Amino acid sequence: MDWLEQELKRALERKEPSPDFAARVSAAARRGRWGSPRRWMAVAASVAVLAGGGVGYRWREGVKAKQQVMLAVRIAGGKLNRVQAHVLEVTQ
Amino acid sequence: MKTIVTLLLWGGLAATLGAQQLQLNFEYLAAKASAAVDVSLNGATLQFAAGFLNGKDPQEAQVKKLLTGITGIYVKSYEFKTDGVWTQADLERVRNQLRAPQWSRIIGVKSTEDGETAEVYVRSENQKMTGLAILVAEPKELTVVNIVGSVDLNSLSELGGHFGVPKLEVTPGQKSK
Amino acid sequence: MMAVAGRETAGLEFDALVKEHRAMVFSLAYHFLHDRGVAEEVAQEVFLSLHRNLDRVESAEHARFWLRQATVRRSIDEARRRKRRPQLALDQVAEPAAAPFGRDPMLGEALRRLIAALPEAPRMAMVLRYQEDLDPPEIARVLDMPVATVKSHLHRSLTLLREKLARRGVGEA
Repeated sequence: MDWLEQELKRALERKEPSPDFAARVSAAARRGRWGSPRRWMAVAASVAVLAGGGVGYRWREGVKAKQQVMLAVRIAGGKLNRVQAHVLEVTQ
Repeated sequence: MKTIVTLLLWGGLAATLGAQQLQLNFEYLAAKASAAVDVSLNGATLQFAAGFLNGKDPQEAQVKKLLTGITGIYVKSYEFKTDGVWTQADLERVRNQLRAPQWSRIIGVKSTEDGETAEVYVRSENQKMTGLAILVAEPKELTVVNIVGSVDLNSLSELGGHFGVPKLEVTPGQKSK
Repeated sequence: MMAVAGRETAGLEFDALVKEHRAMVFSLAYHFLHDRGVAEEVAQEVFLSLHRNLDRVESAEHARFWLRQATVRRSIDEARRRKRRPQLALDQVAEPAAAPFGRDPMLGEALRRLIAALPEAPRMAMVLRYQEDLDPPEIARVLDMPVATVKSHLHRSLTLLREKLARRGVGEA
């Protein structure tokens, strides 16, 4: 990383919200209040997209693909190790 | 007739060029296997999967780095309850593809004691690695690995020692299995 | 009794998720929208969405991914609704005003303003890269766009930032 990227990391460090943020969120969650109807509908639309199929499906597919990669690499690496072990055996 | 000729020519051309991705059609072996692994991951799937690898986990970060030069991973691995399910003809169908000029066998080991053969082939073009093939055959097991692209063999080998599979350390006079 | 216990457990899990991820969610929204108040509103809405869908969360990692993507989408929605930032081409991004900058904190604030002036997609890509330390494939997954597009956004944004800072006398010696 060069100087600009280091500065960007510093500038974009995570910041905490206001001290009472967590309490407000917990209270709102318990009340089940969502704010203005327009905002509620926008949130509901986001939820429908995120939770209905998009994020869940992609997440599961991604996890499956990752598991297959790890399995394939494990087998390939293991077999390569085995071949190398044979060579060591023969040459020693 | 024209279509047949075209297909034959195309097939011939592919063989001459030494395809990076091998034809590994072993469904009939899969049907007879007691355990089978069949993984086919093309470039798009690998890129998608890479996004799910955790860069902060050392192993996953190493796998992620390994994937940067790779555009395909294909693994066929079969275990059988008895000997004699796979034949030399099965191995030859793979070896025939690896006789193309771009492929070179860098390791070939045969153990008459336990009937195991193990071969590693590398594909090169313009002095750059473009493919890897590993064939390991035992009486009750057959594994073919084909990786398309450039792969760091040391890193791949290192990863073979993780995931709960101990890395093989051989001392003089000691059998590996 | 068991239903009450279940609700209490869910409440504790939710509170723990809020505590663990509030900085991430808030900061994503803040660095994108450059407004603390609006960012807190967005962050609250994201967590309330999570609360409604807690039973769909499959793992800690899933929760993190879900929150990130939800915050990204809500932030972009919020920016569009408020029309806080007209869509500019990258080369129209305003240069920071005033005299040459020293190092932090002035440079930090200048960079945040420059980032906030970027068009949506490059802006969010930059925030995900430098706040969350995600690499291009991970960013592509969150933004649901090709990796090549992400790399292009990052590259062009960095080039633009360097040019703008260099004109103000800020850069590597």
